[in-house]
Amino acid sequence: MAIAREAEPVSSIKETKEAGLDREDLLGIYRNLILTRGIEERGHILYKQGKIPGSFYTGRGNEAAAVGVATAMRPEDVGTPLHRDMGVHVVRGVEPWRMFAQFMGRVDGPTRGRDGNVHMADDRLGLIAMVSHLPAMLPVAVGAALAFRIRDEKRVAIGWFGEGASARGDTHESMNMAGVRRLPVVFICDNNQWAYSTPTHLEFACETIADRAQAYGFDGVVVDGTDVLAVYREAKRAIEKAREGGGPTLIECLTLRMEGHAVHDDAFYVPKEMFEEWAKRDPLERFRTWLRDNADFTDEEEGEISEQVKKLLNDAIRKADESPLPEPEGEVDAVYATPEELETPHHK
Amino acid sequence: MAVKTYLQAISDALRDEMRRDKRVFVIGEDVGVYGGAFKVTKDFQQEFGPWRVIDAPLSETAIVGGCTGAAIMGMRPVAEMQFADFISCAWDQLVTVAAKQHYRAGTPVPIVVRLPSGGGFSGGPFHSQNPESSFAHIPGLKIACPATPADAKGLLLSAIEDPNPVLYFEHKHLYRRIKDEVPDERYTIPFGEARIHREGDDVTLVTWGAMVYTADEAAKQLEGELSVEIIDLRTIAPWDRETVLESVAKTSKALVLHEDTQTAGFGAEIMATIMEEAFEDLDAPVKRVTAPDTPVPFAPPLEKWFLPQVEDVVAGLKDLAEY
Amino acid sequence: MATQTAVDVVMPQMGVSVSEGTITKWLKAEGETIASDESLLEISTDKVDTEIPSPASGVLTQILVPEGETVEVGTKLAVISPEGGGEPVDEPPELATQEAAEESADASGAEGETRAAEKVEDAPAPPSPEPAETPAPAAPPEADGDGGGQVRAFVSPVVARIASEHGIDVGQIEGSGRGGRVTKKDILAFVEQGGAKTPAPEAPPAPAEPAAPQTPAEQPAQAVAAAQPPTGEVEPGAGETVEPMTPMRKGIAEHMRRSLDTSAHVTTTFEVDLSKVVAIRQKLKREYEERHGVKLTYLAFVARATLDAIAKWPWMNAEIRGESIVTKSYVNLGIAVALEGGKGLIVPVVKHAEEKNLLGLARAIQEIADRARNKKLMPDDVQGGTFTITNPGGFGAIHGTPIISQPQVAILDVEAMVKRPVVVQDDAGADVIAIRPMMNLCLAYDHRLIDGAYAAQFMRDLRSNLETWDESSY
Repeated sequence: MAIAREAEPVSSIKETKEAGLDREDLLGIYRNLILTRGIEERGHILYKQGKIPGSFYTGRGNEAAAVGVATAMRPEDVGTPLHRDMGVHVVRGVEPWRMFAQFMGRVDGPTRGRDGNVHMADDRLGLIAMVSHLPAMLPVAVGAALAFRIRDEKRVAIGWFGEGASARGDTHESMNMAGVRRLPVVFICDNNQWAYSTPTHLEFACETIADRAQAYGFDGVVVDGTDVLAVYREAKRAIEKAREGGGPTLIECLTLRMEGHAVHDDAFYVPKEMFEEWAKRDPLERFRTWLRDNADFTDEEEGEISEQVKKLLNDAIRKADESPLPEPEGEVDAVYATPEELETPHHK
Repeated sequence: MAVKTYLQAISDALRDEMRRDKRVFVIGEDVGVYGGAFKVTKDFQQEFGPWRVIDAPLSETAIVGGCTGAAIMGMRPVAEMQFADFISCAWDQLVTVAAKQHYRAGTPVPIVVRLPSGGGFSGGPFHSQNPESSFAHIPGLKIACPATPADAKGLLLSAIEDPNPVLYFEHKHLYRRIKDEVPDERYTIPFGEARIHREGDDVTLVTWGAMVYTADEAAKQLEGELSVEIIDLRTIAPWDRETVLESVAKTSKALVLHEDTQTAGFGAEIMATIMEEAFEDLDAPVKRVTAPDTPVPFAPPLEKWFLPQVEDVVAGLKDLAEY
Repeated sequence: MATQTAVDVVMPQMGVSVSEGTITKWLKAEGETIASDESLLEISTDKVDTEIPSPASGVLTQILVPEGETVEVGTKLAVISPEGGGEPVDEPPELATQEAAEESADASGAEGETRAAEKVEDAPAPPSPEPAETPAPAAPPEADGDGGGQVRAFVSPVVARIASEHGIDVGQIEGSGRGGRVTKKDILAFVEQGGAKTPAPEAPPAPAEPAAPQTPAEQPAQAVAAAQPPTGEVEPGAGETVEPMTPMRKGIAEHMRRSLDTSAHVTTTFEVDLSKVVAIRQKLKREYEERHGVKLTYLAFVARATLDAIAKWPWMNAEIRGESIVTKSYVNLGIAVALEGGKGLIVPVVKHAEEKNLLGLARAIQEIADRARNKKLMPDDVQGGTFTITNPGGFGAIHGTPIISQPQVAILDVEAMVKRPVVVQDDAGADVIAIRPMMNLCLAYDHRLIDGAYAAQFMRDLRSNLETWDESSY
């Protein structure tokens, strides 16, 4: 018997309005979902064409969870999205061509080729670049929330982690400290049921990750991660609660990772039936159907968005491909920040 | 100018900086109500309140990671590890997150982690270590190891101002034992500038932290017999290669002294640099006096054996003199 | 005799041209007691491998040079202190330094040899008063490191640099460092005193002529060899192992090559019927063994017969020195001795062999061969040979073309004695086939001095001496 609350689906346009979304916002969400998947699909192709070195990770199946949470954030909020959360970067406004440049290790990628794939973030957009040691980003999100609390700012930090990362001590320390200090932080668990090849029952013994929230003294909620509106609504509630001093919330977005851990992994260990079942719940299809059923979404609108995204991606890849590969110049100097870099309004 | 203990110099500098700069806050285990295990932040919480003098749960990872997040949000966190030894629990946050953030993402992480370090009081294997060399190997981190009260103040303020993660090693054995004059006004001491603790012509002795005093005593014992130049590095990341190399050019003999264990200790880096850069200045092999490669033992005779003693330094210097 | 004061053990001069030696083994550890003349260590030089006996009885208080290290002649190797005498004496007694200086003045040291080589070509000239102004650049630090000074020790990088900058031979400077090492302070003081401009009065440069009496011709070639840089490290290929040459092997290699480059080698072979020698040896063998403790070998007979032949053909015992022929009234007979396991070859010398009868010669050969195999040879034992006999016949060889030991002009190769059918005349003067103990003697000679006829006549007489052995003569 799960302890955490289970989120309800959003069943009508009226509910979305109550949640703060008008029709334009809904079409925007749709566009962000299409764009998120488009970036990863095109990246996948570029990787197989040998244009992307290293490894390539996608968040197929997690688009709604990422877009839903990010849509609920305010511009002044911050977060530490991980490699299944391309949708967060998209919603926050990272230009797609910069992402492709990042994938391809070009100088115009946010890390200038110093790091790869989704190990990037534009801090001007309130995002902090992830590291591969995934739960290590949760203490950082907690620290951001601590800064907001010390300064009495009405801002919220979002920390993402996976169900695999839930097994590590950083997750515990972060949630414990956030709970103790009732910090304005929302923990988002992307539970896609597979940590590389390890299934959930080998990662944790409680029924849901969200059940743990009670032990830390705050609320936990499980939401269908393929339902963008449900994710949005839960994230919105949690974020605004945190903003008002109500402390942290742990939201577990249940999805299935619809591809391997990375492009090189064929996910043979995932039962075929599981893929088939979750394929019926594809987050994009689900939202398209919802829009048609509830918001008079037309073929023309869908075609227009599709064309826009297609053009955006084509242009982005072309532009990214024009960006040169980096020369090893100033690498040693780049290790340390200079005092001038703190001469910003943010650090004053 | 007032005479202060090493501990008081650190405490006063931190308090003054918190008064001056509202972005500065301290976080650590027992730093608030209790005032820190060594009382460096004694009475801070009364003055600055519980949100700038934060008693943290026993969570080194969350403390250091939290500082990183807060720093990226514009704060100037100063974390205290209750003992430097406990920094191992926060390795990932320092090495994986904070140290690499600027190179990867261009994000400055201006945090300070204060690390009460060193032995000499039967602290045993987990309360006596000097783990600075482990971190000196990590690009992106800076490391200060002040030896005097005046340096303790100036280096702490530099550390807080620095836009990078700084490990500030404060030697426990110096806390109340060392008293000296500390200028009243606010000042900083740049990282990477060594201090000539004692001028000499015959042998260069490079050291830092509490070993500066061991070196000093050894040099005094050899007065009239051997003229020893003691260089207190003050910071080991970055470290002042120029001052060391200039001194070696003068003396042609060098001894590196540190309290940390020997193998891959920071002394090895200094020796390697002297070999690379000053080979033709050398009149003897560069020598090391360090702790042996064991954990820090507990019982007094064992710990005495472990820690470099004045007589060890004297013997090392004599050996170089006679070479 | 137990020592009353600390006594230094120094690297001995194992031959006039020997400048350094390698410690191969310490036979005593620090703290052990040792009797005077008891073996203390083993050294290896390019001339000889030998044990060094302790100069005094007492306690080995300090070993200053570890095994494997090569040091210059005169370097202090260890200290023997009086038993129960407490602290080791750090400072080398003056005597040791003096001895070392004297030995070094003996035209030894790599640099000394190099200079000797230069001087042989030029007319002997007084040493330049201002070495710093000579156009030749200062010796590179490495060369300085081997410089023939007094007590030689490591030349540190900074000393090498200063020496190079000021054109100083570090060997001129008295060292105050460990083991007499010249320290930075020493060389700076030397510079300050104007040392760079004028040679130190107490350290005369190497003499223009080597002090050694018998080896002037040897010096230049050897010096050239010594001046050659060491070859770099060799990487083993698949299935190969690589080991460094021992000093002795390097010495042999250099000497053999140089001999072939020097002498015009020709080999001639004579067959000798040893029937008479066999019979005489059979008769004397037991008596020699029981009364004198000497094994009477065929080699001794050959050696004795050779000495008699040399008396008639003196150029066999001569030397070419420059454009002169130097003959000698004495024969220092070298006997080549192979060391076990192919480790090398030593040629100890029986001095004034011509004065010895068969017994004396047999004894001398036996003693010197034993000493060679047991590493007890003294430096003098391997020097001054005038004619050499080598004896591969002991292993069954029946023919050889030996290489002359320079600066000699001939070497006799004694082959195996084998029974062969030979044609002889019976009492009636008819040819018959008989079984005779036959031995081949191969003589390699230097055709620069010795012509074929001269060599053949020498060999003819040698054969005759053996075939018609006159027992009463010996």
